[in-house]
Amino acid sequence: MTSYGMVFDVKRCIGCNACTVACKQENSLPDGVFFTRTLSAETGEYPNVSRTYLPTICNHCEDAPCEKVCPSGATYTRDDGIVMVDGAKCIGCGSCAVACPYDMRTQIEETQIKGGLFGDGNLTPFEEQGYSRFECGTFTKCDFCSERVDAGKDPACVATCPTDARIFGDLDNPDSKVSKLIRDRKGQQPLAEKNTRPKVYYID
Amino acid sequence: MANMSLKNVLRPGFVGRTFKSGYRFQRYWDTPMATAFFCGETGAGLFLTSMLLNFMPGIILGLLITGVGKTFFHLTHMGVPRKSWRAMLRPDRSWISRGLWGIIFFVGFGVVHVFGQLFGMVPDAFVMPVYWLAMAGAMMVVVYQGFAMSHSTAIALWSTGLMPVSSMLYGLLAGTSLVLALNAFGFPVAGESQLTMVGTVQTILVAAVLLTILSLLHGAKHGSKGAQQSYELLTKDFLSRPFLYGVIGIGTVLPLVILMFAPVNFITTLAAAGSIMFGFCLFRVLIFKAGVLDPILTPADIFGR
Repeated sequence: MTSYGMVFDVKRCIGCNACTVACKQENSLPDGVFFTRTLSAETGEYPNVSRTYLPTICNHCEDAPCEKVCPSGATYTRDDGIVMVDGAKCIGCGSCAVACPYDMRTQIEETQIKGGLFGDGNLTPFEEQGYSRFECGTFTKCDFCSERVDAGKDPACVATCPTDARIFGDLDNPDSKVSKLIRDRKGQQPLAEKNTRPKVYYID
Repeated sequence: MANMSLKNVLRPGFVGRTFKSGYRFQRYWDTPMATAFFCGETGAGLFLTSMLLNFMPGIILGLLITGVGKTFFHLTHMGVPRKSWRAMLRPDRSWISRGLWGIIFFVGFGVVHVFGQLFGMVPDAFVMPVYWLAMAGAMMVVVYQGFAMSHSTAIALWSTGLMPVSSMLYGLLAGTSLVLALNAFGFPVAGESQLTMVGTVQTILVAAVLLTILSLLHGAKHGSKGAQQSYELLTKDFLSRPFLYGVIGIGTVLPLVILMFAPVNFITTLAAAGSIMFGFCLFRVLIFKAGVLDPILTPADIFGR
């Protein structure tokens, strides 16, 4: 059985946010909506200061709390482990958003869709085509670019990462690159104490 | 170097929606949802208390508060209100779904019960089943919101068994307070002994609510980092004044003093009920506002150095 997951090599991430931009392009995300973010954190004290970059994304948890609390059945898990949201079934109650420890759910607001990128209501052809997949008021999140995965490609953020800091693959295959990295470099899950069994790992 | 850079990544502050690592507030359940919860618990609590006393004004008011008030505020909160009916589809796993079924049972059988009592429209064989189904629905409504919150492990302040307890206690406290207020306004509860009993129960419930709130704060203080942030917000930061003075002071201590030491009359009954309801409403809003998500990543913890 396939179980897709992702590994972030924190040592390689340079914080360029090319993944963030690629994700927004691939998914036609409105202004203010992000499926992936590269967070920064400053450490140390002057003059010994450094900055660390921490990529974040939906963790597609095996025991996804967002799926458990969804009252309408809009959130579901595919056979390959990708947690999906069916926008047609979502009622916008926000249960998933308060249940997700990773803050990876976003509500599509009317102003974001109708105002467009420039906020004046004049949508570009790109926006007109892309926004048609969203319904105002519903919640959405990363789906590991499921269309690309179905076509045998990597998610857009992985494909675009210039430093190979993002690695995507099958966690159930012990010979896959992600499995080897997690095994060899002691991959750690974020907020593991929440018992959501995230399928995203961090290596250092 | 990478190890060094990860070592002390700590997030002392809140970062909002920025691309920084740190604490974030939950922002999707806000005042309309808090008001809906308040209406649900108040209406169901009033209904339960009034049913036990066979107090028809309270029964009808309880149904209205939940059926109209709670529904209105839920629809105000909902992203896609026209599809709200879909919330009833997953009672097997979602407390929101179970709660909606509770509301349907409560309001549906509650209205049938009222019509049966007022106009004799319910056959004798169905009177008791309707009564108990309405009670069961109200019981579900008075506690499910607490379970819905405690089910969220993401927000440490909410992730405690005290949430459904506080829902139940506050619901029944609001119910007893409103029954006594209605009585003071000229809708008499049958029997002086019943009235005395309701007054005693109200005093016990205020004390129990105060104890629950203090336990909640104690748990948050000694909980995860997110819970500790919530504790700081509620006791020392910008939410502390409304919480300490409003929820605890006006909402519990003041009515406790009134109920224990002041003579029972129109003014003191209304003052106690008013301060209790004010504190309850504020509690619901502030508990939502103090909901803090732990930092998405804590590399210092993850990598153990």
